[in-house]
Amino acid sequence: MTVPNEFSTVWWIVFLPLLGFLFQALLGKRLVETLGAKFGRPAAGAIAVAPIGLAFLLGADLTSKLAQLPEHARAAVSTLGPWMSVQGLQVPFELRVDPLSMTMVLIITGIGALIHLYAIGYMAQERDFPRFFTYLNLFVAAMLVLVLGNNLVLTFVGWEGVGVCSYLLIGFWYRDLANSKAANKAFIVNRVGDVGFALGMFWIVHLLSQNRETLAVTGERWLSYDTILAVSPRLLEMFPTALFWISILLFIGAMGKSAQFPLYVWLPDAMAGPTPVSALIHAATMVTSGVYLLNRMSPWIALSPAAMGIIAIVGAVTALVGAAIAFGQTDIKTVLAYSTVSQLGYMFIACGVGAFWAGMFHVITHAFFKALLFLGSGAVIYAMAHQQDMRHYGNLRRYLPITFATMAVGWAAIVGVPFLFSGFWSKEAVLGAAVNQTHGATGAFGLTAGQLAGWVGFAVAAMTAFYMTRMMLLTFGTSEERWRDAVPDHHAEPVHSHEADADHHDVEDVEGFFFSDAEMERASMLEVHEEHHDLDSHHTPREVPWVMWVPLVLLAVGSLGFVGSWLGGANHRLEAWLTGHAPHEAHGPVAHNLLIGISALAFVSGVGLAFWLYGKKTPVWEGMDDKKWNPLQLFARRQFGIDAILSDGTVRLGGIVGAVCFALDRYVVDGVVNGVGVLARSLGGAVRQPQTGYVRTYATLMQYGAVALVAYVVYRLMTGAPQ
Amino acid sequence: MNVNALIPTVDWRALAPFTIVVCTGIVALIIEMLRPRRNNNLVVGVSLFGLLVAGWSLFGMLGGPSDESFAGMILNDRFGQILQLVMVGSCAVCFLFSEPYLREKRIPFAEFYPLALWSTAGGMLMVSSKHLLMVFLGLELLSISLYCLAGMSRYESKSEESALKYFLLGSFASAFLLMGIAFIYGETASLHLGRISEVLGAASASPLSTIGAAMVLVGLGFKLALVPFHQWTPDVYQGAPTNVTAFMAAVSKVAALGALVRFLWAIGTLDTVWFPLMWWVAVATMTVGNLAALVQNDVKRTLGYSSIAHAGYLLVGVLAAFSAPGRVSLDATAFYLISYAAMTIGAFAVISLTASGQHEGTRFYDVRGLWKRAPWAAGCLVVFLCSLIGIPITSGFFGKLLIFQAAFDAGLPALAVLLAVNSAISTYYYLGIIQAAFVTEEGAVAPRFGKPSASLNLACAVCLAGVLGAGLFAGPLIRGMGTAEVGPPVGVPVQDPLTIHTKNTSD
Repeated sequence: MTVPNEFSTVWWIVFLPLLGFLFQALLGKRLVETLGAKFGRPAAGAIAVAPIGLAFLLGADLTSKLAQLPEHARAAVSTLGPWMSVQGLQVPFELRVDPLSMTMVLIITGIGALIHLYAIGYMAQERDFPRFFTYLNLFVAAMLVLVLGNNLVLTFVGWEGVGVCSYLLIGFWYRDLANSKAANKAFIVNRVGDVGFALGMFWIVHLLSQNRETLAVTGERWLSYDTILAVSPRLLEMFPTALFWISILLFIGAMGKSAQFPLYVWLPDAMAGPTPVSALIHAATMVTSGVYLLNRMSPWIALSPAAMGIIAIVGAVTALVGAAIAFGQTDIKTVLAYSTVSQLGYMFIACGVGAFWAGMFHVITHAFFKALLFLGSGAVIYAMAHQQDMRHYGNLRRYLPITFATMAVGWAAIVGVPFLFSGFWSKEAVLGAAVNQTHGATGAFGLTAGQLAGWVGFAVAAMTAFYMTRMMLLTFGTSEERWRDAVPDHHAEPVHSHEADADHHDVEDVEGFFFSDAEMERASMLEVHEEHHDLDSHHTPREVPWVMWVPLVLLAVGSLGFVGSWLGGANHRLEAWLTGHAPHEAHGPVAHNLLIGISALAFVSGVGLAFWLYGKKTPVWEGMDDKKWNPLQLFARRQFGIDAILSDGTVRLGGIVGAVCFALDRYVVDGVVNGVGVLARSLGGAVRQPQTGYVRTYATLMQYGAVALVAYVVYRLMTGAPQ
Repeated sequence: MNVNALIPTVDWRALAPFTIVVCTGIVALIIEMLRPRRNNNLVVGVSLFGLLVAGWSLFGMLGGPSDESFAGMILNDRFGQILQLVMVGSCAVCFLFSEPYLREKRIPFAEFYPLALWSTAGGMLMVSSKHLLMVFLGLELLSISLYCLAGMSRYESKSEESALKYFLLGSFASAFLLMGIAFIYGETASLHLGRISEVLGAASASPLSTIGAAMVLVGLGFKLALVPFHQWTPDVYQGAPTNVTAFMAAVSKVAALGALVRFLWAIGTLDTVWFPLMWWVAVATMTVGNLAALVQNDVKRTLGYSSIAHAGYLLVGVLAAFSAPGRVSLDATAFYLISYAAMTIGAFAVISLTASGQHEGTRFYDVRGLWKRAPWAAGCLVVFLCSLIGIPITSGFFGKLLIFQAAFDAGLPALAVLLAVNSAISTYYYLGIIQAAFVTEEGAVAPRFGKPSASLNLACAVCLAGVLGAGLFAGPLIRGMGTAEVGPPVGVPVQDPLTIHTKNTSD
């Protein structure tokens, strides 16, 4: 593969955030100390934003260069050098510049830069300011490696890199046990997916290396995308089963990272991290890497209709479950977390019906409006002294006009206000492709799996309209200012109001690794990670500083309808850009106008129902008293018990396996080992016996030894050693 | 009569390293006499400089051809040069941490430096001669200096005791050696190993020469601490001042091994007689050393037994090289010697920190909490002990691996397996030392430690560089060794005694 020089600057897209990371890690703290918190933190923050912004400009430049090439030639590989070379398997450091990777690069660096900017304001009171930006820059670098790498191994490096950063950032306020547990949960659940990813990789290496001749594999880069995707049609002829299972394994990897049912359980808990993290990692970028992987492997996965059917169904179930759980949540960030789960389900539906580009389309629009919503919720939380429970909000539109206006744009985008906002366009693309799927694995009711998923998607659209409107009304609507009745709660920390974590505080931490409450209090006396001032009747929410609202406005502009119509309207720009060929007009069973009608109906019914229920005042069944909740919503609030079943079930099962292993180790292995040890020691004791310390004993023993030696040689000599 | 014919040509170049070390010792002694009561820095400096020059001259000779001079008294070959380099280096590293140790223990004995230098010279002579008389001279020069050194801490009875024990038993062993040499001379009428080898090869084995060979092996085996001539080792290692123990463990072992190799190669034709013997000695040395070490509660004593076990490993390498000439070379053994010297001296250097004031305790509980007082040294200690165990990336691992491989290639699988089993056993007591230094909580009475001086830290760093560097660059180092120049041993390669045994029973 030739390496066009014009694309080798792609390496700098990765290096810039990496340099930023090194700077923050090595010099950040010193900078803040030298300049003092007031100037040092903004300076360090600015230095953290700069590389991301530069990377964005570089990415935009490369994208424009790429766009000038003819459609079939829009792919280039830039190789830095060899990396692994094992028995013929070659894995070089190689980056891929093509429409898909550049699209992801623009999202990551563009939205990443805005969120970095926002974080300067949000984290301004944070003592560990440079540590935060260290992780954040490292995350961006890892994410860029993930999307730019031209082989599965580099993608996996990025994959694990973002996993680690996600872990570090969720547990950023690590002194609180709940945060540490949330970080662990995210990390462990992701491992389940990673096993699938890794097995898929190994299988590919095995298949390709064992069948080099029959598959006509050229070169030894068996994990590079150009090799893998080129051989996939031949694989379909020869090893259709392997093709299916590898697709499923890679999909399991994608499920972990993109929080698909049932591996979604980590994402809501991940909201324990600072809000910019939730916006960047757990909404806009990292969680979409599963969608990216399916897109990257799309020529391969598309060959297996069964795998595609499974992907579509899993996506639909995820969308439905996420939306249903969101009905009962009271924590503003948790609502958004479940809505993210639900929206990720849409993206997988798109991939599952073969409209991979539509999945990417939704990734783009979702990145804008969900980042916007998260940052907006962050602004609300910031204004409300880190209170996240919506039952303490109300009437905030009066105090936070900019936040309200921008979040309203985000709301309009996610609920799918027709034509005017971006979300409508991508949702139409996804669901339209799904219900009009012509070939695909059989589902039920005479529909294909994809069509079934599409109709579920419309139901979810109505649900989304409902719970998002509920969230907006509880936060900004009505004239109740409920925080004025709030009891000051000194220990109000993020995520505490989240049901899934409610039990964390009652658990006695037997390991003693984490701080006890008393220790926490002492520690927080010494160093305050955030300056709390409590909610009371005198509290007046204030609008956030400009570094926080400017990103909100920019993201709001990006969530407007013109973005959607430009990318996915009549010109089909995005589809042509990503697929490399002119789109063909789909003619399915459901007409285009009918679809718009159904969407509008879903939107109107959801929003209308929410206004009817929440428009005037908060209904009593959602008050602070759990006993008055209606049972269905309470069940939703408890996630229908799914998390409990999964977590407890796996932990119990693991406990049993562990107990068996321990017993085996204790009684069988240790028995043998200790037996050998005791034997050796007793032998050692025997050997020590002659060690009396007397010279005469030693001399005698030497004498015996010498006599034995001489006697032996004489014996050998006498018995006729052959000469 | 031509007078010149009687006077052999003097090859000063071949003699240079040896001469430099001896003269440095003399200069060091004079300086010490001229400046009593002053500090020893000048003595140490001069000694280190002398060792540096000696090492440099050795390094310069490494590429040259091997030859003999002084009528066969001095041999100049690659194997000898490498061993001499190891000894010179070991001596220098010992000097690095000796001064703070001597000062801490208030041992007013600046003669340590000249004596150690002469002792090194003796060792260098032992490995670079094919003449039994020179070997004996070298051995005595090495030993007598060591007897003095072991007893230099005069207010400590254990130091006196160890010196006396070492002296008495060493004399006993020298008697065997000398008697054996006499027997061999009686048979072959020569003391030159080349000539001896020729004579023994021509005639069939006689009782006189075989018994003589056995007695020489007793003498050399004592010096190398092979079982059953090992009992002195733990006592002397424990009693002697720690810097002397380190010196002894490295230099005298290298010297004795070099002499043993030359002797075994010379009596190669008698291999049917001695090979099974040495096979069993190797097995016994590895096993007894390790088993006895398991039940020790003193770090120096444990390391003493461990040095016995390592002598056994080295012997395996020698036997492998002997029994498969051409296929298996002494490179593995030479590599192992380098790594052994580095890790052993390093370990003793760290243990020398337990000296505080005039007090010195080296029991396991005396090193509790070492890592808190001297984190760098304690960290190095972990690496040295890991290397002694044979954990990968350290040179100890590669050394053991190479010897294991050599034994396998040479058709001595039983030895290879026993070596592996013994390494596994050894893990226990080495980890015990690490545990004592790191894990164990300090009790009511906290042990006292000397302050780790800069030169001690430097010594640790040098040993660390040796252990890790030899591990990292094991490949190039082995290729650069080229010890094949010892020449193929005379004699027929024999098989594993175990296989001989099975053959006999099947007959």
